[in-house]
Amino acid sequence: MTTSLWRQHILPFSLILGLLAACTLAGDYLLHRLDLVWVGRYLGIPGTILIIASLTYSLRKRKHITAGNPKSLLAFHEFTAWLGSLLILVHAGIHFNAILPWLATTAMAVNVISGMVGKLLLDRSRRHVQAQRENLKLSGLTQAEVEQAIFWDAVTLDSMTKWRKIHIPIFIVFVALALGHILSIFLFWGWI
Amino acid sequence: MSKFLKIILAANIVAITVLVFAYPNLMVGPGKLITGHKQLETDCFACHAALIGATSERCVICHKPAEIGRQTSTGKPIAKPLTSTPFHQKLLSQDCIACHSDHAGVKRFRQQGHFNHALLKAETLTDCQGCHKSPKDALHEKISGNCGQCHNQEKWVPATFDHRKYFVLDGDHNARCVTCHLSNDYKRYTCYGCHEHTPQNIRREHIEEGIRNFDDCVKCHRSADDEGIRNGEGKDGKHGRNRDDDDDD
Repeated sequence: MTTSLWRQHILPFSLILGLLAACTLAGDYLLHRLDLVWVGRYLGIPGTILIIASLTYSLRKRKHITAGNPKSLLAFHEFTAWLGSLLILVHAGIHFNAILPWLATTAMAVNVISGMVGKLLLDRSRRHVQAQRENLKLSGLTQAEVEQAIFWDAVTLDSMTKWRKIHIPIFIVFVALALGHILSIFLFWGWI
Repeated sequence: MSKFLKIILAANIVAITVLVFAYPNLMVGPGKLITGHKQLETDCFACHAALIGATSERCVICHKPAEIGRQTSTGKPIAKPLTSTPFHQKLLSQDCIACHSDHAGVKRFRQQGHFNHALLKAETLTDCQGCHKSPKDALHEKISGNCGQCHNQEKWVPATFDHRKYFVLDGDHNARCVTCHLSNDYKRYTCYGCHEHTPQNIRREHIEEGIRNFDDCVKCHRSADDEGIRNGEGKDGKHGRNRDDDDDD
């Protein structure tokens, strides 16, 4: 049985991402079933707060703050960003009408996926490819034969590295779009 | 982040900002507006005020409450009004948004066109015939006002009139109204509308008991059950009978 990157790493990653989709659908279904659709309108607020809270790790990583254990903050970042995204997805699922919020949600989804690539795949995949390379070398293959044997894994790894790099730029896009959506709601909805 | 990427990002954000201002209805509007407001699609602030949203004050600039249901906002008579009687003039408060939403995305999740009597002023609330015409049947054409005695304001049918106060419609008596109330005249009734009761057998049974006044059945019989027999005029100047009398037969 092949121990390809796909089976060992990408499949579990897909399942965890699928859980986010399943929870979104379940949340949306429950709101409709319980006649609580109006609640969805307000889920954007806690979702946004959770995503903002998740940025504590980003500030710590870039040394804008010095307090906090980076490892704990990373776990906090992953959890709050995932949960915040779930709330935003449920919120979006109920109130999708305009293009701007659609774009913001798409940017958020791309951001979540790129973040999960970093968390779940990249490190383990690097180790996986490196281990494969060493094993093949030890079995007596030449460098060219080794590179040929791990060609598709290397390509996958390269794509994942690139994918990971878009986490920050797409986050900036997401922030800009989300701000546009939030401002428009403040501007046109009856808050007072 | 590379300088090139930053430029791309900035260009995208600027492009989206321009699109928001050029096509606000598509970019931030929660769905299409109703047909009557189509011309306002790119003028959000015609109805919305910053931080306050769409306000009734702005609605009534075009939709004069006194004319709603009678004339269009352009002053033309409404050919086919949605309600036979204009009622917006009689509402407790002029809160348009409480009942109306113009964007398709908002309308989808709100009940539309659901009139509620509770929104009416107190004096209108009791004046049913100010808006409604009495039904043209034998019962209703003799009645004026006091509709609440038999009907509630949620729905006309079924009436809240409690027939059990007069006669219990049990399994054998769950008949069509016209069986007892001939020609839909609810002021009168007859117990001889079915095969079970005939003037002859009713007369015979009552005479046997010494009861001579049995024209008004429900005076004594409020249900088919003998337990329900109330005191009525009977023999020897007494009224009615009870279950024990019956058992003596």
